[in-house]
Amino acid sequence: MHRLLRGDMLPLPSNLVSRHLVVSSLPSLPPAPFPLRREAHLWYIVPNELEDASLLQDYMKLLSPCEKENVLSIKGEALKKCAILSRVLVRTTLSRYTDCKVNPRLFKFRKNRFGKPEVEHQNGCLWVPPSLQFNISHTSSMIACGVTVDVPIGIDIEEKRRKPVNNILSLAHRYFSPYEVQYLASFMDPESRQSEFLRLWTLKEAYVKALGRGFSGAPFRDFTIRFENSTDSVVPERPKSEEFRIMIDTASDSVNLTANWQFALVELCGSHLAAICMEKDENMPGTEQEFLKLKVWKTLPFVEDKCMSQTDAVINISGLC
Amino acid sequence: MATVSAASVRFASLKPASRSNQANGVTSGVMFVTIGTSKLSFHSLRSSRFRVHCAAKPETVNKVIDIVKKQLALSDDTSLTPESKFSSLGADSLDTVEIVMCLEEEFDISVDEDNSQNITTVQEAAELIEKLVLQKAEAA
Repeated sequence: MHRLLRGDMLPLPSNLVSRHLVVSSLPSLPPAPFPLRREAHLWYIVPNELEDASLLQDYMKLLSPCEKENVLSIKGEALKKCAILSRVLVRTTLSRYTDCKVNPRLFKFRKNRFGKPEVEHQNGCLWVPPSLQFNISHTSSMIACGVTVDVPIGIDIEEKRRKPVNNILSLAHRYFSPYEVQYLASFMDPESRQSEFLRLWTLKEAYVKALGRGFSGAPFRDFTIRFENSTDSVVPERPKSEEFRIMIDTASDSVNLTANWQFALVELCGSHLAAICMEKDENMPGTEQEFLKLKVWKTLPFVEDKCMSQTDAVINISGLC
Repeated sequence: MATVSAASVRFASLKPASRSNQANGVTSGVMFVTIGTSKLSFHSLRSSRFRVHCAAKPETVNKVIDIVKKQLALSDDTSLTPESKFSSLGADSLDTVEIVMCLEEEFDISVDEDNSQNITTVQEAAELIEKLVLQKAEAA
C-alpha cells in the first residue's frame, strides 16, 4: 500500500515505493497546517539523497511546460536534478497547505514587477488558500522553501564552509555598508571572517528577497545588518556573549528600505546556514515581535517527510523563540 | 537611468554615419542591437520585430568566459557560449556578484546595481562591458 509516510513512521524500502510511483498518478501528500502568526515553515530537500531515477522522472511530470523547457536547457545532470527538485519543492510544499486539494501540477506562478516569484491565484474551481507567501533558496547540496501566511518572507541558505573566490574584504568594500566592512575587518582569523561574511551575506540576501524589489531595489550597501548583544556596544566588534540579536539599519529617508523586519539565523544539518526574514507584525506586543517561530521539515516529496524542529539538525544562532 | 542610456547608445549606433561609430572605429559594419529578453523599460522595444544580434568583440566574450569558468570552478573543457546563462551553469547570487566584481577589475569599469541585475548571460555581460568601456572613453 503506497500510503504516504508521516514523520514518525519508518520509511518503506525505496524500491517498493518507487514501483508504485511509476504507476500513473503520484500518491497524495500529507496536508500541513497553516503557519501561525509569527511562524515560518521551512521545507528542505537534500538532492544527494535522491538516487532513484524513476522518481526524478515522476517529479518531472509535475512541472509546467515552461519549467520543463528550462530544465532541458540546463547542461549537466546534477544541475538538471536541482532545477527539477527546486520546482517540485515549491509545488508540493504549496499543495500541502491547500489541504492537498490542489494538485502540485496545477499551481501557476508569475513574477511581481520586480521579478519576485509569487503564486498566481486563479478564479474558478481551485480552492485558493489565504495569501500564502513563499520564497526559495538553493545551493548545490540543499534546496529550501520558506512559507508564511500573509507576511512577506525571504530566505537564503548557504553552505557553512563556502569560501568566496575573491578576497572577503574586497567583496565587502565593494558591496557592503561601511559598518559591515569595519565589522568584518575586526576579525583577524580568516575562518572567523569567512564565517561572519556568510552570516551577513545570507541575512542581507534574505532581506532583499523578502522586500521583493530585486537586487537593485535594495542595494546591499544601503542597509546595515548588525549583531547586537546586551552591552549594546557602539563600536562594531564581535559580540561578547554567544547570544545576540540581529538588527537592521536603513537610512531614515529611505522609502523603499523599510526596517520593520524580523530575522532569524539557523544552522541546518551542521552543514548549512539558513537566514529567514519576515515582516514584523506591528500589532503584536513589543517583546513578542523580537522572535519568530520556525518549523522545519526535511522532505523527499511523496516518499518521506521528517519534522526536524527540536532536533540537532536545526540549531538556533539567533532570532528564534 | 541606466536603461535609458542603454537605449540611446544602441539606437545611435544604427546610423552608419554616426560619430560614435567613426570616432571609435567600431569594426563591425553596422552595429545591431539586441533587445530580446533584456529588461528595458520601454515596452515597444521588447517586440520581437526589433530583434537583431549584437556582436561584442570575441576577446571580450572570451575574457568573460574565463572569469565565469574560474568563479564557478568549471573544467577547462566545459564549453561556454555567449548564450550561456549564468544560472544554468549553477551560479547563485554570490557567484554573480563575484563575477561582476572580477569583470569590474578586469576591465576597470563600474557596474551599478540596475545593470548587474540584468546580466544573465555571457553575451549580456560582454555587451555591457563594451558599453561601459566606451562610455568611460567618451567621458575622458
